[in-house]
Amino acid sequence: MLLDFALPEHERKLIPEGRISGPMPWVIAIMLFLTLLAAATGLLLIGAAQQGGDDIASRVTIQIIEPNPTRRAAQRVAVTRALRSMPGLSQIKPIPDAQVRELLAPWLGGDVVDADIPIPGLIDVTFTQQPDKAALARFTKQIRPLASNIRIDSHATWLAPYFDLMRALILLSGGVLLLLLLATSATVILAVRSALNTHRETIEIMHMMGGTDVQAARLFQRRVALDALLGGAIGFGVAALTFWFISGRFAAVESGLLAGSAMPWYGWVVLSIIPLGVTALAMFMARLTVLSALKKML
Amino acid sequence: MQSVVEFDNVGLRYGTDSEILADLSFTLFPGSFYFLTGASGAGKTSLLKLLYLAHRPSRGVIKMFGQDAVTMPRDRMPGFRRRIGVVFQDFRLVKHLSTFDNIALPLRIAGIQEKDLKGPVTEMLSWIGLTERAHARPATLSGGEQQRVAIARAVIGRPEMLVADEPTGNVDPDMARRLLQLFAALNKLGTTVVVATHDIHLLNEIEGAQMMRLDKGRLSDPTGNLRHPPRPLVLKN
Repeated sequence: MLLDFALPEHERKLIPEGRISGPMPWVIAIMLFLTLLAAATGLLLIGAAQQGGDDIASRVTIQIIEPNPTRRAAQRVAVTRALRSMPGLSQIKPIPDAQVRELLAPWLGGDVVDADIPIPGLIDVTFTQQPDKAALARFTKQIRPLASNIRIDSHATWLAPYFDLMRALILLSGGVLLLLLLATSATVILAVRSALNTHRETIEIMHMMGGTDVQAARLFQRRVALDALLGGAIGFGVAALTFWFISGRFAAVESGLLAGSAMPWYGWVVLSIIPLGVTALAMFMARLTVLSALKKML
Repeated sequence: MQSVVEFDNVGLRYGTDSEILADLSFTLFPGSFYFLTGASGAGKTSLLKLLYLAHRPSRGVIKMFGQDAVTMPRDRMPGFRRRIGVVFQDFRLVKHLSTFDNIALPLRIAGIQEKDLKGPVTEMLSWIGLTERAHARPATLSGGEQQRVAIARAVIGRPEMLVADEPTGNVDPDMARRLLQLFAALNKLGTTVVVATHDIHLLNEIEGAQMMRLDKGRLSDPTGNLRHPPRPLVLKN
């Protein structure tokens, strides 16, 4: 089908150049721009979920709840030592009490924290892989004997709503992408039907001289492909500028969930393929429309 | 002798109207020349449409080149249509194509290479006296010039059958005679020619031509030859 794009010059003349064009390239440019935005959003969300989400979800925070600062420090050292000998952990980071006080000070006030409220001893632990429930249970069983009162918070638990939201947004992007492709197909069908009406007499004459449906379909396919390529180039250009602008803003976000998130490597490949895919889709729809319309002619 | 066209009890109606053509049974033989006459509304154009496969009949059997044209699958039609040249009453030139491109159209549709079609098209342009207007669009041509282009387009592919609907209606008598000579020359090369006309003077131009007369959709056969091999064709000088 794609080879039909390369028509000899004399065959191209059978339908005057520019008659299908009109607003078609611009409509396709807008549709493609929106399609690329939807696809990029979906891909960025996948990237963010994979990078930020996975990083955070593979972490746990151990809280040593011991009011006596001396015992608390001793227990934290013991737990840290035990953790360093455990397999499957990529990072063990005891949080100094001073840093914990700093974190609490905006809410409780610096003086109150120092004097009256015992603070927990904190150790951030990162697993090499996101731990499942069984791994977490084994981990808890190994750590619990090392301190009198210990609590283990898995970040994956409080991240569950975040992952649910991400999944919903990714599905939404996919749905929008699908709707846009359907709308693009509908636009092509309407444009080709209108062009078919305009050129009905030429097509009938071709038929009477032994022209085949495929010969007629190729003429329309080529026109639609040119429009789609032109519209695709414009839509892709505008989308690329938009991504460049947005990605700068995105990189400036320091939120733990979004920091460092970027388009996955295959994302750029997918985005580059979309204009070609839309062109192929437009050609296919044009061919289908013409062939089904011509079936009604003898 | 194998026939080019066989009609057996053919009828044609548009929608639920009464039959515009009824009980047509005749045979056209290779290399024969037929004039189709009849009053306006007698059904000449409808009969020609059946001959160039623009319509299927409402009833009856039509055989074209030995094949059943009534039940012929759509995808086989183009191959048969390429064997038929058609001169439409309203010319039906492609408006955005030049004279040259209009005449070349059947050859291009048949997949003839550009280098192979330039010679025949140029020769045809010269023959119809429109070499100077090779690049003109139909809208800038006179009625007679358009008619000549339409005829040139119909004959350029040396069809096995030529169907012409009032082909000399818009040209002067001298050009009409020249065009008829072109048809006769093609006929001598073996093309079966069917010319629908009102012009009774044309009927005497080609000796041996047979006449088919339509009257209210029914065919009369004044020469009585439609079902027999034709006599040898002699063009009057």
